[in-house]
Amino acid sequence: MMDWKKIIIAIDDSARSINAIEYVGSVTGHLKDVYLCLLHIYPEPPPDYYRSAGTTLDEYKKTQEEQARILFTCAEKILQGHGIATTAITSKCLMADHKSISAAILDMQMREHYGTIVVGKRGIPKAEEFLFGSISNALIHNGRDIAVWVIG
Amino acid sequence: MTAYKEVSFLPADIIQNLKGHRITRSLRRSSRVYTDTTDFTSLDYGDIIQVEDRYFLITSYTKEGRFGVDDQIKKWVPKVEDLATGVPYILKLVFHETFDISFGPFTIPCYRSPEKEARILELVQGRPNFMQGKSLLDDNNNLVRVIVPVNGNRLDKVIHHSQTQHQEYFIKELPDILTRFLESLKAIGFLHENGLRHGDIRRDHIFVDRNTNQFYWIDFDYDFYLPEKPYALDMFELGNILIYLTGKGDYNPREILADPNMGEPVLQSILPTDYSLLSQNRIVNLRKLFPYIPEKLNNILLHFSAGAEIFYETVQELQTDLHDALCELK
Repeated sequence: MMDWKKIIIAIDDSARSINAIEYVGSVTGHLKDVYLCLLHIYPEPPPDYYRSAGTTLDEYKKTQEEQARILFTCAEKILQGHGIATTAITSKCLMADHKSISAAILDMQMREHYGTIVVGKRGIPKAEEFLFGSISNALIHNGRDIAVWVIG
Repeated sequence: MTAYKEVSFLPADIIQNLKGHRITRSLRRSSRVYTDTTDFTSLDYGDIIQVEDRYFLITSYTKEGRFGVDDQIKKWVPKVEDLATGVPYILKLVFHETFDISFGPFTIPCYRSPEKEARILELVQGRPNFMQGKSLLDDNNNLVRVIVPVNGNRLDKVIHHSQTQHQEYFIKELPDILTRFLESLKAIGFLHENGLRHGDIRRDHIFVDRNTNQFYWIDFDYDFYLPEKPYALDMFELGNILIYLTGKGDYNPREILADPNMGEPVLQSILPTDYSLLSQNRIVNLRKLFPYIPEKLNNILLHFSAGAEIFYETVQELQTDLHDALCELK
């Protein structure tokens, strides 16, 4: 089992992510040796992106990273409010390159030996899960030797 | 309007073949030679598309017609003949199209992607169960896909032509059909393993070879955007074909009521969980309609029902289950 105090908080711009950040803050705020990584994974651009938007992949990535910076600033504030030191928080924004978002999260977890992944729960109907997928379910299903916290 | 050349610019042997061609003889104007297919609407019957030193005479156009809609000419998909060899092909010209498809309350953005089709054609070169073709570039760098037509008929027409009643079809014909469909599943699994989707899996996108009865997937240019579940739509449509093949048709409440062998009692037994996960009104739990369908096969169908608790994540999973169910049928 990996070190559970090395925690990835996978976030997007939803209220569910804020809940997840608040939860992690309240659980770990008083603990020592906690190391948090705010992770925002975004999908590859849609197939017609280059034609319709007339832009490059670099521009797409730049836009996504700018949006992620706003998320990270907000998340860091929440965590610091729970007493977590700035030095214990990092952030990363990556594109899910030829893979699903959940697979990209797990890749990062394995590569950098994180022991816990935290995500917000959407609570979607079955049909929606079939078509669009559930990141939390995929993490629970495919994660190995880690804890996955799904925050409702 | 796209510029064209006169036929006098063509090589002598091509001009010769063109002169003696039945299409040219019936044409009231001179053929035009196009090296840029960007504006495919300018091209017409009897014109020549010149790509990478090959000369394709347009002999007719493919049509699309489904679900009672009148056949519509697809100007970007001309039927042609190679003027050097006399071999017929289907050309697919670049036509970028974006549209949404709806599944119940959900909308999925879809795209026509010549590049994706070209990648698949290259990947499946020489493999069974796929239409074959080659991509060439015209003078404006448009990907012109040169497709070898499958000599056969659409799967749905083949199934529809069978005059047998369901039980006889189920016992005598379905095991062989599913054996061949298993190969089609394997083929789609191969695409997925290579990171590609078919994109437009439908019962009329399988062609049945007239001589060998082998199934061939056709039309790979549709693509869709489902970043977390990139193969979900392919999976769902494979399930739809399997349900169609098992039932020898689609069943909704109206059809059940109209069928003297089923009627009201059967319809009353249908629960909301017996319907399709995504196609409203379509009954998936076919064992309630045809009680002789074995549970093993019916359970596969139920993976695509509104009552499903688990879904197939890969084609391999579906293939394994269907193989087991088929052993029971034979």
